[in-house]
Amino acid sequence: APCVSSGLPKPINVTFSSVNMKNVLQWNSPEGLRGTDVVYTVQYLIYGQKRWLNKSECRNINRTSCDLSYDTYDHEEQYYGRVKAIWGKHCSKWAETERFNPWLETQIGPPVVALTPGEKSISVVLTAPEKWKRNAENNSVSMHQIYPTLKYNVSIYNTKTNKKWYKFVTNHTLEFPQLESDTLYCIRVQAYVPGPRRKAKPSDNQCITTLKDQTSELKVK
Amino acid sequence: LKRCQISMDMHHIEKSFHRIKNTIQMKDVFQNVTILSASETLYNITPSDVCCMTKDVLGLYVDKVFRNHEESDPRIQRGLSTIANSFLHIRNALEQCKNQRNCDCQKEATEKFQIIVGNYEQMEVKAAAIKALGELDILLSWISRNYRPKATT
Repeated sequence: APCVSSGLPKPINVTFSSVNMKNVLQWNSPEGLRGTDVVYTVQYLIYGQKRWLNKSECRNINRTSCDLSYDTYDHEEQYYGRVKAIWGKHCSKWAETERFNPWLETQIGPPVVALTPGEKSISVVLTAPEKWKRNAENNSVSMHQIYPTLKYNVSIYNTKTNKKWYKFVTNHTLEFPQLESDTLYCIRVQAYVPGPRRKAKPSDNQCITTLKDQTSELKVK
Repeated sequence: LKRCQISMDMHHIEKSFHRIKNTIQMKDVFQNVTILSASETLYNITPSDVCCMTKDVLGLYVDKVFRNHEESDPRIQRGLSTIANSFLHIRNALEQCKNQRNCDCQKEATEKFQIIVGNYEQMEVKAAAIKALGELDILLSWISRNYRPKATT
């Protein structure tokens, strides 16, 4: 039976959290209902279309998030999400997000980083992150296809001298020359798109040791 | 705009709108109505029609949208003025291109622009202006995509 819209407080901080177009609606429990057996129901609206649509997988759920990636897959559209709290026969009013524009607001995830050490250099090959896929068999869509101006901020850190420096690149391969041999370097890469501040997630630190200097090795023998 | 080279700092315009986006969009209470309706009009415009569509849509904003909106918040007003001035500059440059026959409108683009005008004029004047301003992210994203080199995969 439908719940009665009473004075039950609404969920709060209803927002989309989005990384590489994986779009998750999240919220906080309403004031005063934390720890109780409150459940939630989610709907979403494609901006400009007539009706709010139910998300069946997120009906009467007790978690405070709902993956709407499948429903918000077209990143050229805009969306609203909303959620209401249900406690026994009582339910709150809907709590809504602001208008969500995946193309503008998704966070760019880190690229895949492959390192190859030389004696006095390190070669870096970057692979752009992929857009979230509806199912594994689908062809991958690179975030670089969606954002042709995608760039990389590559930082390198010499663990011996604690010296750190950066390179800003657009292509997928680069080299750090003039390094010290037999030294551990750590590299971190962040993909970003120039323009409105899109958040970006840096890659984890990847560390690698440059090769031993062959010439000094020969003298020792 | 390959044949009609216009210099425009899209990042500056995008950032101006980004700062006021949520405030403007919250004033638009008609969530189930859209003017630019991405899928019906702006998207799948052929490259040769991009210039004409840009000129016409910017003209709609310069001649109607910005004029029909009264804004009391100075922060919002500053943002909108920055965008309006940029649009005016771009539209005037595109008009010159049109005079040099570099920005012609083909039938399909004209029809799609009429859908946009129809959507706009169906609404009450002030509500239409607010909705169009709230859809600036749709327009700016479309312009960004059409004036940037395609990605090599």
